[in-house]
Amino acid sequence: MSLLLPTLLLVPVIGAAACLLVPVRLARWVALATAAVELILALPLAGAAFGGGVVAWAPAGWIVEGLNAGVRLGCDGVSWWLILLTAFLQPLAVLGSFAGIKQREKSYYFWLTALVTPMVGTFLARDGLLFYVFFELTLVPMFFLIGIWGGEERRFAARKFFLFTFVGGVFTLAAVLYLGVAGGSFAFEAMTLQGQSIANPTLKVLLFVALFTGLAVKTPLFPVHTWLPLAHTVAPTAGSVILAGVLLKLGTYGILVLAIPMGLLSDVALPGVEGDGLLPVMRDTVIPAVALLCIIGIIYGALVAWVQQDVKKLVAYSSVSHLGFCVLGLIALNTIGLQGGVFYMISHGISTGALFLLVGMIYDRYHTRMFKDYGGLGKVMPIFSFFMVLFTMSSIGLPGTNGFVSEFLTILGGFTSPYLGPWYGAFAAIGVILGAVYMLYMVARLIFGPLKLPEVHASGTHAFDEPSEAHGASGHTHALPDGLPRDLNAREIGLLTPLAIVVIVLGIVPTPLLDSILPDVQRYGRPIVPQLIEEQPSEGSSGGRRPGSPRSIGLQPSN
Amino acid sequence: MELFTILLPEILLIATALVLFLFGVSKSPVGRQVVPWVALAGLALSMIAAWAQAGSAGEGRLDWSGAVLINGFTDYVRFLAGGIGVFFVLLSWPTNRERTGNIALGFGADAGEFFGLILLSLAGIMLVGSANDTILLFMAIELASIPTYVLVAMSRPLPAAQEAGVKYFYLGAMSAAVMLLGFAYLYGITGTTNLIETGQVLSGARPGIGYEGPSDPVLRPTTWHMLGIVFVILGFAFKLAAVPLHFYAGDVYAGAATPITALLSFVPKASGIVATVKVLLVVGGNGFALPPDTWKLLYAIAVLSMFFGNSLALLTDNLKRVMAYSSIAHSGYMLVALTVMAAGAAYRPVDEAGVVRGGAVLVTGGAWGPQAIGGVLFYLVAYGIMNIGVFGVLMMLPNRARVTDADGNVRRLPATSAETYADIAGAGRRYPWLAVAMTICCISLIGIPLTVGFLGKLYILWPAVSLAGDSAVTRSGQVAMWWLVGLTVLNAAIGAAYYLRIIAAMVLQPSQEEDDAEAEGRVYAPPPAPRQPLPFVVATTLSVVGVIVLGVLPPAINVLNSRTEEAREALIRSRQLSLPVATPMRSVTPAE
Repeated sequence: MSLLLPTLLLVPVIGAAACLLVPVRLARWVALATAAVELILALPLAGAAFGGGVVAWAPAGWIVEGLNAGVRLGCDGVSWWLILLTAFLQPLAVLGSFAGIKQREKSYYFWLTALVTPMVGTFLARDGLLFYVFFELTLVPMFFLIGIWGGEERRFAARKFFLFTFVGGVFTLAAVLYLGVAGGSFAFEAMTLQGQSIANPTLKVLLFVALFTGLAVKTPLFPVHTWLPLAHTVAPTAGSVILAGVLLKLGTYGILVLAIPMGLLSDVALPGVEGDGLLPVMRDTVIPAVALLCIIGIIYGALVAWVQQDVKKLVAYSSVSHLGFCVLGLIALNTIGLQGGVFYMISHGISTGALFLLVGMIYDRYHTRMFKDYGGLGKVMPIFSFFMVLFTMSSIGLPGTNGFVSEFLTILGGFTSPYLGPWYGAFAAIGVILGAVYMLYMVARLIFGPLKLPEVHASGTHAFDEPSEAHGASGHTHALPDGLPRDLNAREIGLLTPLAIVVIVLGIVPTPLLDSILPDVQRYGRPIVPQLIEEQPSEGSSGGRRPGSPRSIGLQPSN
Repeated sequence: MELFTILLPEILLIATALVLFLFGVSKSPVGRQVVPWVALAGLALSMIAAWAQAGSAGEGRLDWSGAVLINGFTDYVRFLAGGIGVFFVLLSWPTNRERTGNIALGFGADAGEFFGLILLSLAGIMLVGSANDTILLFMAIELASIPTYVLVAMSRPLPAAQEAGVKYFYLGAMSAAVMLLGFAYLYGITGTTNLIETGQVLSGARPGIGYEGPSDPVLRPTTWHMLGIVFVILGFAFKLAAVPLHFYAGDVYAGAATPITALLSFVPKASGIVATVKVLLVVGGNGFALPPDTWKLLYAIAVLSMFFGNSLALLTDNLKRVMAYSSIAHSGYMLVALTVMAAGAAYRPVDEAGVVRGGAVLVTGGAWGPQAIGGVLFYLVAYGIMNIGVFGVLMMLPNRARVTDADGNVRRLPATSAETYADIAGAGRRYPWLAVAMTICCISLIGIPLTVGFLGKLYILWPAVSLAGDSAVTRSGQVAMWWLVGLTVLNAAIGAAYYLRIIAAMVLQPSQEEDDAEAEGRVYAPPPAPRQPLPFVVATTLSVVGVIVLGVLPPAINVLNSRTEEAREALIRSRQLSLPVATPMRSVTPAE
């Protein structure tokens, strides 16, 4: 079982290499097959989430001597869900590229497949340096995906994306280095113990800020979010899906496993630290400050999204707003908030990924994303409209969809957190209202109203157009020049259906997910010492955790 | 006779160089064809000699005069110089029909002299590694430098190259004078030119002549002591192209032919770094304790070098200048580790019994000093390898600039390869493999994981972070170190901007032809890439493979690490050597 972990990292590398070696026409299928294999391989690890405990793989020969850093992999519940999200979105991203990518296909599928390894690697890493290695490695494929296959301003967007994340990342590296060196090992446990043993408040705050900087840029939080709208808008559809769906989660996941346990929490044995494991400065200043940034991001992101003229930009800014909720839940530091934050990562990946796919689908047809060019699509594209409304509802947080669960839990976390309180919850709730406003505005402009369709570009302007693929081009009378029918074709419907199912399923039965991540978030969200004392007896007696309802978990916040 | 044995690798290189000078009289292309092979053979012989000696020195072997000391550190420097030296020979390979140069280089009929000078320069680095006497050290550094002045001037039949050569020579001569002055002060206060003896005198373990300073030279060094250190460090700063003696770098690097620019960014730097490590370990005395303010000087030089180098590189369009400024920044990174070494050693005077002396103790223990030396030695290898890849790629790309000669003919610049961002724009379409190589090398220079550049930065930052987090360090010391770490990572990020620009120009940007084709509505099909000469391909491939292997494979990394560890331990141990034979300089006994 543990050998699955390195396999998960190797498969995309092999697949990516294969993409370069096969004939152009087969590259996309190789990429798809690789993604499918990755998904299948990720499934057996479910045990890590459902009671099987952490699956670990750390061979002795792969540790760099002296530094005591190297390949230490492990998969717990949170990792597994995020890996599953990655493996689930990857085939959809590949499928979603079939219509849009017409030039340099081999290298496109190479980079798209090669991106999986560092993403999965980040979730699997149980070594601080290895985490950083994978975290930074995601930049290279994304840099090329945006820079070569992006839209207008792609070169600028690619460099801005790279530089922002890299600049933030180096500060995270400095903090990781310090923890690893001072703790004698880069294993997460050693780093966490070292981080929690620091009594000097100045050093502790510096450490947290350094750790948090790189992760906040990646997330992105309010003042350092400016790379995101540009990169998302410019990236090719699959790039946006992966960027929003998975890459942003590297930041929030890092906050959960690095910034909170190593930077924020302290050993309760230290002077001035109470049972919750927080230094007074953390409790009084740092947590509220981070939460404030989240709130500003939530509201600011929503307001800016509201005034966008470009559909994709609107979705991009909505991510800024949504990730604010996610971090707010995490930083609330109570069980419900942490669970909500993790749930938000999954749920945002699904619904925003789907929205980017939808935007990509109309862009493939009409080569424009401006609101002014569209109107009343519901009349000619009923299937498209169905999915659009569904995912919009999920993004707004309509009860019955995954968005509701995640938004509710994170806001509740903010409300009940002993460090934040009702005001934070209330202001976050304003973000929900604004979210409904701009998302419904988008739907109203696109789907309803009088029919308006943009002029279709002549196919000859695209120098790299290939003979159109077979997808249902014959049966439709309204076929567009690129071989796409007016409404969604079978490939596109097949692409969106799984996402739609997940949206509904997670919205109605969120309990398995919430229960499976419960022990993990409690481990990350509490200082190590009391956790050892409290959990050991309960592990023995509980014998197969009974999943409770989310409500019952909600009634015992901030354990 | 023993001197001949222990210096055999250096002597073999110099002898080969002399043989090559004889080839210089040959006017036939055949003679010029043989020259690079002879140079390679000389390097190989020298490496075999070095390999035969490696490890045999044990605690170190001194010659009769004590001026030459062979130990693990020497072995490391020899392999470094010889190993990287092969790349310079390969990149300078005369590939045109007349064998007077290659696409990026034109030395006319002087192939013999040209390759001979390269070998002399490499022999200079090796000698720096084995010198144990300030006079020999000075000569060794100049042996590494003086050939480069000539190489710059003769590398291209262009006024820019001659100008660069002259400028480099004058500034080099001035810096040599400054360095010599520093050595003279050190001699003045200790009465010996022998490095080990200097250290022993300064730590009070051995009486010296003319040294009448305070009883504790480490905590309260005399003005002359400090002056000596400052002058020596400044002299070395020129070799490193570190601020404030960095001004020549841009002009000289841009003026020289590309292979010689590659050589310039490594050879003087390596000799300077090796010499700095050596001298710093000595001037503080045997407790490995430098005078308190030394690290502040290094700190300032390191930070300014990083900022100047990286900001200038951001503002430049000429790629050779970009690489020149980036080499200033990389000197800054290496100086960060040297700063840590000096700071870790500062204020830590330990007497024979191992008891810490003096009141102003900053550091009471910790291995950060030795760690920093290991980091620098690692970084030298990393920088050498990844830098050569970039220059190798630049060499193989054509230059777009055209000049009109006196007859009104429009011609290409002679012996000039790609030099600006415009030259490499869109080259990735026509030369995909070169784009791959360039991307990997630039990513490594940025310091992205899975490349040797990342590990290099890591080993530079590691001691700094350790020192900053050491609770034995005073608060102000900790703050200073945190700032150093912060500024270093910030600079790594600034550096990323221009390396990314190189990648972006080559891979993302369309070339002029592609733009023209698009404007005319044609489909652009890049012409097939020309066949590149084998030596360049071999050099670039080796460098790319090195970047990846030393960045990914823990066994390879561990091997290199064990070499750096051996080298630094040998160096540190050597300071305890007792000299068996009195040197002539020490014949005067101190006044009673």
